[in-house]
Amino acid sequence: MNLSDDSASSKLFLNDTAAFFALSPHGKIRQASPLFARLLSREAASLLGRNLSEYLPAPDLGRWQQLVSLAMAGEVVRYEGPVLLPGKVAECRITLFPLLADSQITGVYGVASHLSERDLPTRAVLAREQQMSVIFDTISDVTFVLQVEPGEQYRFVFTNLAFHKITGLPLGRGVGSFVQDIIPEPSLTLVRSKYAEAVRTRQPVVWQETTDYPTGRLIGEITITPVFNEAGECCQLVGIVHDLTRQKRIEEDLRVSNERFQYAIKATTDALYDWDMATDMLYWGEGYETLFGHRLRQNPELFSQWAEHVLPADAQRVVGGLRYLAYETTQWHWQEEYRFQRADGSWAWVYDRGYIVRDEQDRPLRMIGAMQDISERRAAQERQRLLGERLSRQNADLQQFTYIVSHNLRAPLANALGFAQLLERAAPGSDIFNNSLQNLHTSLRQLDGVLTDVNTILSVRDQQEGYRPELVPLATVCAEALQGVKQLLESCGGQVHVAIADELRLPGRRAYFHSIFHNLLSNAIKYRADDRPLRVDIEATTDAAQFTTITVRDNGRGFDLATAGDNVFQLYRRFHPDQDGRGIGLFLVKAHVESMGGRVSVESQEGVGTQFLVYFSSYGHENLPD
Amino acid sequence: MGMKTYLIDDDKLGIYLTEQLLRAEGFSNSISSFESAREALDKLLGEKADTTPQVIFLDLNMPLMDGWQFLEALQPYRERLLGHCSIYILTSSLALADLEKSRHYDLVTGLIHKPIDSGEIRAIQAQLQPTTGPSSGPAAPSRP
Repeated sequence: MNLSDDSASSKLFLNDTAAFFALSPHGKIRQASPLFARLLSREAASLLGRNLSEYLPAPDLGRWQQLVSLAMAGEVVRYEGPVLLPGKVAECRITLFPLLADSQITGVYGVASHLSERDLPTRAVLAREQQMSVIFDTISDVTFVLQVEPGEQYRFVFTNLAFHKITGLPLGRGVGSFVQDIIPEPSLTLVRSKYAEAVRTRQPVVWQETTDYPTGRLIGEITITPVFNEAGECCQLVGIVHDLTRQKRIEEDLRVSNERFQYAIKATTDALYDWDMATDMLYWGEGYETLFGHRLRQNPELFSQWAEHVLPADAQRVVGGLRYLAYETTQWHWQEEYRFQRADGSWAWVYDRGYIVRDEQDRPLRMIGAMQDISERRAAQERQRLLGERLSRQNADLQQFTYIVSHNLRAPLANALGFAQLLERAAPGSDIFNNSLQNLHTSLRQLDGVLTDVNTILSVRDQQEGYRPELVPLATVCAEALQGVKQLLESCGGQVHVAIADELRLPGRRAYFHSIFHNLLSNAIKYRADDRPLRVDIEATTDAAQFTTITVRDNGRGFDLATAGDNVFQLYRRFHPDQDGRGIGLFLVKAHVESMGGRVSVESQEGVGTQFLVYFSSYGHENLPD
Repeated sequence: MGMKTYLIDDDKLGIYLTEQLLRAEGFSNSISSFESAREALDKLLGEKADTTPQVIFLDLNMPLMDGWQFLEALQPYRERLLGHCSIYILTSSLALADLEKSRHYDLVTGLIHKPIDSGEIRAIQAQLQPTTGPSSGPAAPSRP
């Protein structure tokens, strides 16, 4: 309805059938029809030259100016709202048209009418719609309204800003289009079925969908809500796409992280714990029950229940130390090695590390930590230590042995050399010659004796390899050894009393036990006291811990233990200068006892007697590496 | 002539041998033999200044009191003996450790490995009796 002819428009303004007016580009009234003047309840002449906006309430001025500008830009626009009349306000509808002159927009003309009572609710609806549209445009969820048309056709009648932002569709596009023009396959088939479902079930339909948009991948929860008209038919569908991408990513990250943590817990055999210091409760990870066999009646359990399982000897250092570190210092790292009782009563070596969480005032809140069972490692270390000790002892023994043997080989050899020298000079048949020849023989016999001893000793050492202990009946072997020295005993009038249980068996080597008894008996006979008949007591006792002690006690001469010291069991070490002993017997006793994992010690008092104690643990061999 | 000599060795054969070798060289006609170092110690500490032996041959490896213990027991009398009594360790041991240890005792003049031979005997003679001994003896087994 463009007017291009001024005269025609002038006629229009005289026509009193409609409320016409014409405005300058700035909104000043150029012309006003009588009806329009009457609508404003003013004289037509008084209106000319005034800006129409003067008759509008202040809150609507901005919108009005915008509408005028739009009309000046060539659009037909409509204002519906209050207009100020002298003394009252009237609701009017004003439609603005661009005014063309010589194909140029030179102004605006409009037609106004009172809004009928019927129109008023529509206006209210429109206002609300406008408000809604503002709301919809500010919410970040994609929101759209579809009109349900026959033949399962769905037409976009509303889309919000977020819809365009995410789909990348320009603002003007979308509304008026069918879904198949906007949504590509495979989503199309899915959404159509969902729309149909909402229409059919008359219930909201919700599903989650991952869609690749030009702006990126979006994981959304889509809700389609059916809207019904007065007839109860589903006329519209309201769709909302709630963006779950961020939430899903966080959830996924959390899940992966949790999963990693769970696997880490499974991978470690440690007992993880969380000590809440406010309640003094310990929350245990699953490793605790697996590792130590304790059944948790409740989790968390009291801190003291853990503390009760710490070896009493370690408790002060460990439990006391931990409490001190937590409450009396500001340190955050704690670690200890200690023994911890398993459910079966055995002790585990534990390596425990904890991290103390503190508040701003350095007060302890919690400690997160892990107990690691290092029993095997400790046992290996202990075996290593024993092995090292044993090796170093053997090495010292060997050095000593070498020294002694070289000396004792050298002594008769030196004598032999010396007597050979003398023989060269002495006249054959002279006393010196005869003595020297005899002494040369003696020296050579001694040399041979030493070599025999060396052979005996080395054979003890050799047999230690691949040694398998047998259960040796002690009483029987002792009786055999006694039989061997029977003649010597009888000739000196000695008596031997044996108290060894017949059933006593010790793991070891029969020949060694025989040698031990034989040498100790020979020793007792050799160093008996001259003024009293020899009496030897041999007994064996086993205590509750399965340690067996063999005692060989005599009433012989004895010797000064302080002088003899550790040398009693050394090779070629003698303490009775007037007795013809080679000094190998006790050395062999010690070698035999130790090769079977035992220990030997001696007590003696000059003039009173001597007592040898031989100790064996029934499971000694398992403790010592061979 | 000859020097008053102590021979300390628990080995009877060793004593007999050393005595014969010393006599063969005319080393001394005053040799006292001890099979026990303790016995020798008592005797030595009982000697007056003019009866103190000039030479002691001391074995190391002996029961009850060995050569080292004997030397330790002499420490309190060191001043009295130094310059008057020369102690020679006479041992069958070839261990270097013994040689090393002997250096810690200034009472010890030398260490000789058994059996002692005539050269060693003459060298000792030369060392202790420079005026009367043979002037062209072999090198003395002085402090090693």
